[in-house]
Amino acid sequence: MRCRTVRSHLSAYRDGELPAETTREVSLHIGSCDDCGRRLREYEAALGELQALPRLACEESIAARIHTHLEVEMRGPGLTLLFRPAWSARPLFLPSLIPAVMVLLVVLGTVFSLEREADRLPPVYVRNTGQQWNGPVPASGTEGNPLFPSATVSLPRTRQGDPLLPQLLAGMGQRSFFVEMVVGRDGRVSAVTLIDGDSFEAAPILDLLRHQRFEPSRVQGRPVAVSFYRLISGTVVRAPTT
Amino acid sequence: MASVDVALPASESVPAPAAERGLVEECRRGDPNAFSRLVAIHEGLVYNLAARLLGDREEAKDVSQDVFLQIYRMLPRFEGRSSLKTWIYRIVVNQCRNRQRWWRRRQRDKALPLEEMTANESARLATPSRECPEEQVARREESGRVQKALLKLSLDHRAVLLLREVEELSGAEIAEALGVAEGTVKSRLARAREALRLALLASEGNAS
Repeated sequence: MRCRTVRSHLSAYRDGELPAETTREVSLHIGSCDDCGRRLREYEAALGELQALPRLACEESIAARIHTHLEVEMRGPGLTLLFRPAWSARPLFLPSLIPAVMVLLVVLGTVFSLEREADRLPPVYVRNTGQQWNGPVPASGTEGNPLFPSATVSLPRTRQGDPLLPQLLAGMGQRSFFVEMVVGRDGRVSAVTLIDGDSFEAAPILDLLRHQRFEPSRVQGRPVAVSFYRLISGTVVRAPTT
Repeated sequence: MASVDVALPASESVPAPAAERGLVEECRRGDPNAFSRLVAIHEGLVYNLAARLLGDREEAKDVSQDVFLQIYRMLPRFEGRSSLKTWIYRIVVNQCRNRQRWWRRRQRDKALPLEEMTANESARLATPSRECPEEQVARREESGRVQKALLKLSLDHRAVLLLREVEELSGAEIAEALGVAEGTVKSRLARAREALRLALLASEGNAS
């Protein structure tokens, strides 16, 4: 057997794992070869020194360290809970989702129910035009949102008289009509609405009123649209004098 | 395992296979005393193997703690196909391998050699010595030289040598602990022994 082969068998030879025939050949070679014999002795010495290493013991109890670690881990809330790894957060994370989902459902339910309430509200109409109004409320003092006469808002004055009006009024006898008029910022009548009276009989009167011209009311020098009520009657009602 | 609020028993000897199975079952059922016993039984061999593999006592402490925490968490999944001891050795070697990778990533592959143990630290040796102080010093120097040579080997070679020569595991047990074939263990062991012989020869040459 050659030295190279013997050296490759030294580990198995030492452990007694070689077949009997190979073991005998290796033994014979080692007995006759100084180099291989020395190598085996070095080999044995190295492993002997390794086996002779003292067993090391930790100066503090590993069990106590683990005990402390697990106790802190299981103690629950506090900084440990905040800085725990993701896998240990999972058991608490899922149950905490339940109240979160419930709160979310309550909020969403409230929002939807309020939405439905809003749907049931009647549509907004602008009384003067009779049209449905879906947009924003017009600015105050304009034709869409006129002012009412008050201490600061005077009634618009008639710019020119209508010769036909007295004639029509004379033919009305005891009949009267109650109307709402809106005079715009340019002095034109933007809307006339019959509130009380026969609409057929009132038609020519209303047509006349629509074509009347007024001196527009002013608030702080600025013309404004004004809405006011007007009683159209052939009967002269005089105010009682004192 | 709801709590570990138990008294910790002193270090115990490794139990027989039947007792070991019983201990594992008790741990699985959540008996905190059983886990404390398991730690007390195995902490010596875990620390010694980690310290010899890494050559650093502080790292060995941390690794030992991590090993038992991993055991605590993985014990319910331990199927008992290998012995508990082999399974623990496997965890130790893997933890040390991970730790060494971590060192390499941070350019910190310089372990604090164990031969630098002070006289006080030598008192922590698991086997109390009756040698005189001179003999103890000589023995410490010799141990340091062997540990230094050991650290020159790769972690795979260190692991196979320590499991075989120090922990006295069989080839099959080492194969289980390292997760390799038995034939691989034999060839790795042969190369590791040769590497140790050369490392020790080199250290002798440097010393002389």
